[in-house]
Amino acid sequence: MQLVDIHHLSRSFGSVHALRDVNLSLESGTIGLIGNNGAGKSTLLKVLLGLLKPDSGGGTILGCDILHGTPDLRGRVGYMPEAAAIVPMLKGVEFVTFAGDLYGMPHRDARRRAHEVLNYVGLGELRYRRLEEYSIGNLQRLKLAAALVHDPQLLLLDEPTNGLDPAGRIVMLQLLEDLIAETGKSVFLCTHLLGDVERLCQQIVVLDRGTVVRAGTMEEMRDQVSNRYELSWEGPLDRYRAALANVGIRFAEEQPERSTKVMVTVPTGFSTTTFFEIARAAGVVLTELKADEENLERLFFRVTEQAAHAPATT
Amino acid sequence: MQIDQAHYHGWNGRLRTPWVACVAIVRVAVLQVFRNKAYWLVLGLGALRFLAFWSIIYAVTQLALPPDVRRVLLQQFGFNADSDLAQDNGYIGFMQGQSVIVMILLAFSGSLLVGSDFRLKSLPFYLSRRIDRRHYIVGKLLAISSVVTILTTLPALLLFLEYGMFTSAPAYWVDNWRVAVGVLAFGMVLCVVNSILLVAISAYLQRIVPITIAWASLFLLVGRLGDYLYRETENDFWRLLDPWRDMRLVGQLCFGTFRREIDQDLAWWALAILGSLSAVALVALVRRVRAVDVVE
Repeated sequence: MQLVDIHHLSRSFGSVHALRDVNLSLESGTIGLIGNNGAGKSTLLKVLLGLLKPDSGGGTILGCDILHGTPDLRGRVGYMPEAAAIVPMLKGVEFVTFAGDLYGMPHRDARRRAHEVLNYVGLGELRYRRLEEYSIGNLQRLKLAAALVHDPQLLLLDEPTNGLDPAGRIVMLQLLEDLIAETGKSVFLCTHLLGDVERLCQQIVVLDRGTVVRAGTMEEMRDQVSNRYELSWEGPLDRYRAALANVGIRFAEEQPERSTKVMVTVPTGFSTTTFFEIARAAGVVLTELKADEENLERLFFRVTEQAAHAPATT
Repeated sequence: MQIDQAHYHGWNGRLRTPWVACVAIVRVAVLQVFRNKAYWLVLGLGALRFLAFWSIIYAVTQLALPPDVRRVLLQQFGFNADSDLAQDNGYIGFMQGQSVIVMILLAFSGSLLVGSDFRLKSLPFYLSRRIDRRHYIVGKLLAISSVVTILTTLPALLLFLEYGMFTSAPAYWVDNWRVAVGVLAFGMVLCVVNSILLVAISAYLQRIVPITIAWASLFLLVGRLGDYLYRETENDFWRLLDPWRDMRLVGQLCFGTFRREIDQDLAWWALAILGSLSAVALVALVRRVRAVDVVE
């Protein structure tokens, strides 16, 4: 099922372009939206939720128009904001009930669901405490409960592990993992913590300065990772580099130009024996060849680095 | 920390119109006010004042008091001692007195009921549900109005009912129907003006001290300025600068009783001024709630 389908989405705040011509087409599942601070992640979430109107472009989430179908859309989406976003003087169960009321649930149903979801997220014993007495970890879980109260099809989670200590982070990730496994809900996880994305997500979208610089499944990302090799050789520098470039091999941006040890990305279908053939033809001796075990973090830095050197699109 | 292993259960009910959420906003706001112990003193003052009026009405209708004592008691509390006009000004006096208490309560609670939504970034909590800015603003205005009503209109109506029931005369209801209408109309003016001004001021200033200063300036400082200009020029219109006095004049208009003849003309001007002030504040409020997407 098509979860998100947006075209040419742009949004500016004054002279700041928060989103530039964003196009996304994503299937149901768990999607990680990653990017540096200020990349436009939260803005994209708010536009998807109808909290912000885009300057241009449009699209659908779960088949609902993000420009005109917001009440229907929000009935099917649960949003967990990054900020504290509490209502002072309320108790946990009252807060979640209130969230249900705001969704338009009958009050009695909202109250019953509040107890259920608070139990589910592990706050059953703390539900009658005032919000001011909750720890950050418990507040995050409370906000998750408030997003779940109307049983949405899609959860938009904005930095759900932000500010948590390592133990709290593990609990939250475990909770989300269980939730996804048990209910099959789609999740849009917006974070700058790549470990969270690696652990939970099947699809990934990388945002950099308001632009989507990479989008695809985790498998596609991993395929790109395995296309990288680290090479060392002895012999003339320029001749071998030029020969490699001639067959479509790209050098990593972070490598010094006058180095005989480089990281390269090879085209699809490339055979490693070609490295040796080119070396022989160029008169150099290949002393090291190893596949790069790039993790998501390095991939993220690579694609954002590439985007930084690419000409601006707007 | 252990995760509760309870299983997830779905929910298949139907969601209702977003306007129903306004009721929830009102309920939560009233809960917030009554749960805050710092406000209990102010609420207690309001309750005491109501009890005082209730006792006086009980005394003059149920106890065999000497006529002089009865007259003095009624006059002390602003009621006309003439039995045919017994209910005239006592209700205005009661509601105006209660509205002083309301003003104090609102000055302190604006930060809690509205300012915190902006300060704690709770606005996305509201607006990410099925409600939009219209529902949020209407809900907050109704919430403040409820606090005003609980302290002014509702007790005034109870006093009116008490007077009627204790006199046991059917003619009371026929003769004094206008009092009930006056109570409701004046109550509505207090609700509309106070709620719009408070929500707008709180949305911009957010914290309790700036809100209290702005609130006090609006209702005290501007009033003193109007009084000063009136003394210098002897022009009654300068006193209309005082929104507090404007509300009092509109109250007299609602009850149809004026202390001075000129007040009847001034009351319409007061109504126009309050209407304009509320309109400006409402526009500013709508702009502020829209502007949140920029600061967010």
